[in-house]
Amino acid sequence: MLAAMPGHSLQRNVPMTFSIHRRPSWAISENQATPEGVYLDRRRILQGFGLGMLTAATLAASAGVGRAQDADPTADLYPAKKNEAYKLDRPVTPEEINGHYNNFYEFGTAKDIAANAQNLVIRPWEIEIGGLVETPFTIAFDDLVRKIPLETRLYRHRCVEAWSMTVPWAGFPLKSLVALAKPQASAKFVRFETFLDPEMADGQNDFLYPWPYIEGVTIEEAGHDLAFIVTGAYDKPVAKQHGAPLRLHLPWKYGFKSIKSIRKISFVEERPIGLWEALQPSEYGFWANVNPEVPHPRWSQAMERVLDTGELVPTQLFNGYAAEVAGLYTGMDPATLYM
Amino acid sequence: MTPWTDRSGKFSPLKAAVLLGACLPALWLAWAAASGALASAAPVGLLGARPITEAIHQAGDWAIRFLWLSLAVTPLRRIANWPKLILVRRMLGVTALLYALMHLTLYAVDLKFDLLRIVSEIALRFYLTIGFVALAGLIALGTTSTDAAIKRLGGRNWNRLHSMVYVIGVLAAFHFFIQSKADVYEPTLMAGFFLLLMFYRLAHWRGFALTSPLVLVAIAVLAALGTAAIEYAWYGIATGVPPGRVLAANLQFSFSIRPAWWVLATGLGVTLLALVRPWFGRNEPARGRRAAGATA
Repeated sequence: MLAAMPGHSLQRNVPMTFSIHRRPSWAISENQATPEGVYLDRRRILQGFGLGMLTAATLAASAGVGRAQDADPTADLYPAKKNEAYKLDRPVTPEEINGHYNNFYEFGTAKDIAANAQNLVIRPWEIEIGGLVETPFTIAFDDLVRKIPLETRLYRHRCVEAWSMTVPWAGFPLKSLVALAKPQASAKFVRFETFLDPEMADGQNDFLYPWPYIEGVTIEEAGHDLAFIVTGAYDKPVAKQHGAPLRLHLPWKYGFKSIKSIRKISFVEERPIGLWEALQPSEYGFWANVNPEVPHPRWSQAMERVLDTGELVPTQLFNGYAAEVAGLYTGMDPATLYM
Repeated sequence: MTPWTDRSGKFSPLKAAVLLGACLPALWLAWAAASGALASAAPVGLLGARPITEAIHQAGDWAIRFLWLSLAVTPLRRIANWPKLILVRRMLGVTALLYALMHLTLYAVDLKFDLLRIVSEIALRFYLTIGFVALAGLIALGTTSTDAAIKRLGGRNWNRLHSMVYVIGVLAAFHFFIQSKADVYEPTLMAGFFLLLMFYRLAHWRGFALTSPLVLVAIAVLAALGTAAIEYAWYGIATGVPPGRVLAANLQFSFSIRPAWWVLATGLGVTLLALVRPWFGRNEPARGRRAAGATA
């Protein structure tokens, strides 16, 4: 059976291929199979026999290792084929670490909101696509995710708070979604909006923040191959605390630009104002491109603390993606590009 | 005199309790830090994925809390007519200094003791500069708090020097405010308690009796209003949050009880303390400089 699925067995057993550095402690934590890991192996074994998802979920549930939410109708899409063009200079952050260190204010202002984020209801989930497009439409997430082929990419994530993580995201380039939306020539920006449901997400009762979370990019940025719509991570559907069922990731920008749990995508003429920019325009700008030379008003951005390893490493221009994205900003005023 | 005996060498339960209380946060931090380093099963310890940052914040929180506690001694002595409280003021102040030193030391650990960076960060970042000045002040007060130093300086000079604590308190609170992200709930709360403590002093200085429930209730209300005003001003000046929304939130309790209410509750709790005081046998009059009735 293993011979029949060489790719799967390799990825499962040799996750170290993601990284350059090898850390024994990390290897240990990866090998300590979590219930989910056990469950996924089960599924793969069953897939090897050609059995369907329903059977797998039933069996997993009867074995007492599956929970209702594990029976994700898109689980069969993962692991997605790896795009080897995106490599890392550091190990992949263990899932248990970055799964408990998230800024998702909809579920609380602390970092470990993972448990509370499980209140996020992700089915049914529809995405409204509108604004300056040929024809506005609404699409169910489960349909959208099967319209565009998924791939796995290893990305660095740099938070404006000077910490960083690395994640094996799965998803598709934002530009594929833009193509699907067919924007009109007058569209200059893409505006993203998340859900608004204070009953489900108790953090949205916090009156300090102008809910819902909004973010935006230029149409040129949206067309760049690096701009990624994330639907999965760690070879399964993306966890709720990371912004299930679909989120954005712009690896060359500070993390707050990468909006979670997207509900609405609009193509607009006017520059959108994100939640953080509305709150603190002096600290969180529209561009928010990573630049170690430009400090945040209250701290230096020269270095970053890498989650898990705890290393303090120099931050790179455009978070190390300068070769790819610097061209997007030629001739623009550097005074605002990096905050 | 040990940290658990009074000047006559007798065991003091009050001092022993404060000593224990002063050590508890540090012991908890040490244990939480060890949990991350020792736990092989759970990769994240009690301090989370960025344990040093979390420890820096907690040490800072305790520094300001103990500083406020040391500032509570004088008004509480008057309000509760509990002169013996003076026994623990020095210990509380020195504890605040030690947590502040831990705060800075952990920051240095975070920057891998890169002295050049530490110095340049402190010089470049306004909120760090303020915090550092406050710490320098605390060090000055801490090192002059021995019996020998008090004797050398003389009571008058010592008092003058140690009134610097009010400036340090303002700097510490300001440091707390500007290091916060958008939400300044905790700094506002600390600023409110500081107001309360200052109003007790102001009232005493103006000749009001701190044993009068009426005076104490008035102080509680004023401090609460002041807290709401500080909150309003901060959001209006330093953030994009409409300050009116924050002000209105003081009357909505579904999401949070605003700091002003906690300050009011604390002030009223202190009033209660003054009311039950006579039942505990400490009935010597504690008055302001002027007689209580003179200003009424």
